Amino acid sequence: MITLSGVSKAYHRGPEEIHALQGINLTIAAGEFVAITGKSGCGKSTLLHIIGGLEVPTTGQVSINGQNLSGLSDAELTLFRRDQVGMVFQSFNLLPLLTVQENVALPRILQGYPYRQALAQAADWLKEVDLGARQFHKPHQISGGEMQRAAIARALINDPRVIIADEPTGNLDTRLGTQVMEIFARLQARWQKTVILATHALEAARYSNRILQLQDGQLAS
Amino acid sequence: MPPFLFALPFRHLRSHWGRTLLTILGIALGAAVYLSIALAEVSALAAFKDSVDAVAGKANLRLRVAGAALDEQLLVKARQIPGVRAAAPVIETVAEMTRGGNEPLMLLGIDLFAERPFRDYEFNQHMDQDSERLVDFLIQPYSILITDRLAAQLGLGVGDRLPVILGSQRQELLIQGIFRPASGVYALNGAYALIDLGQAQELLNRVGKLDYIDLLVAEPVDQVAARVQAQMPPGIIVERPQNRSQQVDRMVAAYRLNLLVLSLIALFVGMFLIFNAVSLSVVRRRREIGLLRTLGTSRAQIMALFLSEGAVSGVVGGLLGIILGIWLAQATLKVVTQNLTALFILVKAENLRLSWTLMGQTLGLAVGVSLVAAFFPAWEASRTQPREVWHREELEEKLKKRAWPAFGLGLIILMLAGVCAAQGPVAGKPIFGFLAAFLILIGFALLTPQCAVGLGRLLQPAMRGLLGPPGELGCRYLQSSLSRTAVSIGALLAALAMLVSAAIMIQSFRQTVDHWITQSISGDIFLGPNIFSTAAYDAYLPPEVLAEVQSRSELADVYLYRCVRSAYKGRPILVIGGSMAVLDRHGGMLFRRGRSPEIFAQLQTEGNVIVSESFAELNHLNEGNNFLLPTPSGPQPVNIVGVFYDYRTDGHTVWMDIKFMHRYWRDSLVNAVRLYLKDLAQLEPLRQQLLQDYASRYRLMAMSHRELRAGIMDIFDQSFALTYALEAIAVVVAIFGIITTFLVLIMERERELALLKAIGASRGQVFRMILVESGLVGLISHWLGALAGTLLSLVLIYVINKQSFGWTIQFKWIPDIYLQSLVLVLGVGLAAGAYPAWRALQANLAAVLKEE
Ligand SMILES: Nc1ncnc2c1ncn2[C@@H]1O[C@H](COP(=O)(O)OP(=O)(O)O)[C@@H](O)[C@H]1O
Ligand SMILES: [Mg+2]
Repeated sequence: MITLSGVSKAYHRGPEEIHALQGINLTIAAGEFVAITGKSGCGKSTLLHIIGGLEVPTTGQVSINGQNLSGLSDAELTLFRRDQVGMVFQSFNLLPLLTVQENVALPRILQGYPYRQALAQAADWLKEVDLGARQFHKPHQISGGEMQRAAIARALINDPRVIIADEPTGNLDTRLGTQVMEIFARLQARWQKTVILATHALEAARYSNRILQLQDGQLAS
Repeated sequence: MPPFLFALPFRHLRSHWGRTLLTILGIALGAAVYLSIALAEVSALAAFKDSVDAVAGKANLRLRVAGAALDEQLLVKARQIPGVRAAAPVIETVAEMTRGGNEPLMLLGIDLFAERPFRDYEFNQHMDQDSERLVDFLIQPYSILITDRLAAQLGLGVGDRLPVILGSQRQELLIQGIFRPASGVYALNGAYALIDLGQAQELLNRVGKLDYIDLLVAEPVDQVAARVQAQMPPGIIVERPQNRSQQVDRMVAAYRLNLLVLSLIALFVGMFLIFNAVSLSVVRRRREIGLLRTLGTSRAQIMALFLSEGAVSGVVGGLLGIILGIWLAQATLKVVTQNLTALFILVKAENLRLSWTLMGQTLGLAVGVSLVAAFFPAWEASRTQPREVWHREELEEKLKKRAWPAFGLGLIILMLAGVCAAQGPVAGKPIFGFLAAFLILIGFALLTPQCAVGLGRLLQPAMRGLLGPPGELGCRYLQSSLSRTAVSIGALLAALAMLVSAAIMIQSFRQTVDHWITQSISGDIFLGPNIFSTAAYDAYLPPEVLAEVQSRSELADVYLYRCVRSAYKGRPILVIGGSMAVLDRHGGMLFRRGRSPEIFAQLQTEGNVIVSESFAELNHLNEGNNFLLPTPSGPQPVNIVGVFYDYRTDGHTVWMDIKFMHRYWRDSLVNAVRLYLKDLAQLEPLRQQLLQDYASRYRLMAMSHRELRAGIMDIFDQSFALTYALEAIAVVVAIFGIITTFLVLIMERERELALLKAIGASRGQVFRMILVESGLVGLISHWLGALAGTLLSLVLIYVINKQSFGWTIQFKWIPDIYLQSLVLVLGVGLAAGAYPAWRALQANLAAVLKEE
């Protein structure tokens, strides 16, 4: 279960103070598929980053399965990200120098799994996202939709409790976007992961259990 | 092309100003080194030429004898020859002032009344108004006239005394007048004095003798010269005074060529920097290029765009280099002057002569080098198709595919280098040797991509085992950033190769010389005049000292040594006489071929000589050959009975027994002696005794073998200090290259690094990953550089030095240099990676990831 209470995030841009998030209170149950929608710049990414341990809120508390993130050091946050979160970004999800399979295996490898085992797991996950035939390709040799599917596989490989996806279909056309979302939804349903998806495309939000509207850093009810 | 297009390169250079600055500095440093060396050489030689010209005045012919004095009688004879309008006798010697830092002072013994047609002096009022001074100058012993410059420098005036060492004796000279040369050109920067000829002859023990006679003859000079030659006895050399400058010019030619080529290395390494910078901007601006092409920009324009980026760096770097070079030249001039004086001949150059030609040349070189370096990336840019979507990874893959062909080409070029190394000299210059050296650097640079891929692949499992994911990823990155790293590796490799090769060459040379001193210079104590330069040969051991020394009972043997400067076929040589029987007893020559005792025995016969290896090589003479040696008694046919190793810089040498030397040179002078003791325990007491006995009257040195060796080694080290400095600068330039490469590399990977951190890589892991990569870059540069450097040192030793100086250097392996350079390079590699890595880790992770 994820709980955010009174979370705010402010950035300084020169003398100006930007309130990216203001007083967010939110509870997400385990296994829930939540979509966060809103205009560009409304704070979706910031919210995701705070939940994923990439950023710390200016004020407020975030707890994930009872663990309070604000108490964690940088090293502990790194471990948290590595072991408990899976991430999918809008683009540039894969390291260009590794093969698709190696990219997917990377979280396991970083955890210290033996290479062979990590790669075998990655191969399995690639089959799950219909990329079995592409495992030895380099990222620049596959399409944008395939890259996003590989990123989903990578987000799942370390069996995280939470997956955050920041506009995973943002760079894809409707057809490919749908394809990616279908695979995503299928896997979410199968493995009962908690997924938080940021998107400004309502088609993508359709796959979720709950849609949250974010407006100028605040949740609209 | 629309002007705004040309503004683009400026904007790009500005927006990456850090990298731009390093690139420009690299070129500037290279250009500065080149200019400073060139300026210093030109200034030193010009100063020497001015001195020669100033002393020669209007004289257009000069009579002299190689390494000996002329008979005074010849003056009268010369004046009677038709076509000779005037003749002036001159005695010339270099004294040492014992005041104001032991500077040399040239003493010109002249006949004031014969001087008028030759040299104009403007005397201060003392001389003009009361001619008593003039009379004093002529009759009072030790009277001299000095230049106004020297007077000002020493703070001395008329009536003051100037303490000097003349030959080996201490003297006090009396200043009777001050003058300035009417031409305004001061020989030796003013460090000379006039003395009456008669006084000089007495003072220097040369009564009835002259050093040379200056002639003013009618045109055509050559015709009169032939007539004079015919009228003079054999042994007299009739030449133009300017010949001296030419001889010296030729004498130092090899020294100069070597330094100039060395100074080009920094520029060569700078070329890699430009290549690197322009390649990076081409890769980075693929999209811009595509867009410009779509908008109708032509290929030629695109090419011009990138060439101009290189040119801008070249011009700015070149201009900066000129300023830096002039500043550096002041220091270089000092070193070069010291070297020339220590190794060849007294040169006094304090003022830098700025040469527009040289400065233009430097700028041209900087721009030229930059354009050449920018050409390949610019050409590649011009071939970009409009609307081509560029993938860095595609470029990398293309490069990876080309790595093997490049490797093959590299091997072919290395073979070519081997062929070049086997060629002989061109006009006495090791042109092919330099070409071979250049090809070695290029060849090895071409090996780098494949070596980087190979090493990365090879070490991947080990690094993975050792460091885990960072080790693995570092190796992977190394293999897939060839477009960035290969060139920097090439540059560092080249600089390291030069450093390693210079170290091996210099150390080998040093040990060879050391061995040579030990083997070929026997003797326990060396006694002779204390001279300012190894090249001053007109200081003699006073005859009374010689007699006293020879009668000492502690001595087992005394070796006499006489040396004169002469010329053979227009090149300076030294003719040396020694007591060969003594050498035979104590050992003291390293012969190329033949047994020493037999050779020494043969030297007891008149007409038999031994020659240095460099003399033999240059003149294509070998054991058993004959040649005509010019002597004061006319050309003597001599027979070479042995060729020995010799490492002098100031001339090739011909040796004979001193008794024949005295016969040919018609004197009994001795420059120095070596003493062999009966009991070595007496060495230090005797040395002290000698110094004490003669210190008050003469300035002599009495050195033990160890001190002599240390002295020679000092001069050796001093003359190679500049070489080391040049190499070090090339390494600094290459280090700039590595640092810029990693700055760019890490900047470009900002996104990848953020992603890695987002999915759980720790700071430590990311840091180590970058260090593995930059460390490997350092390692490859080092391995290839060490290998290339070793090959290069062979070329330096067996081709370049052999051909330009005729020295045989025994190759000496120095494992230390590999270790030292490894430490340096690993340090550089790791630091080059650490700084950008640290910066990347500071970057705001979330901000990077949000920039979709
Ligand atoms: N690291 C940052 N520094 C400064 N301002 C930021 C930073 N991250 C986000 N912002 C600002 O905060 C606001 C919310 O940004 P973001 O969370 O990226 O919105 P979204 O993902 O919904 O487009 C925007 O105005 C953005 O400019
Ligand atoms: Mg966003």
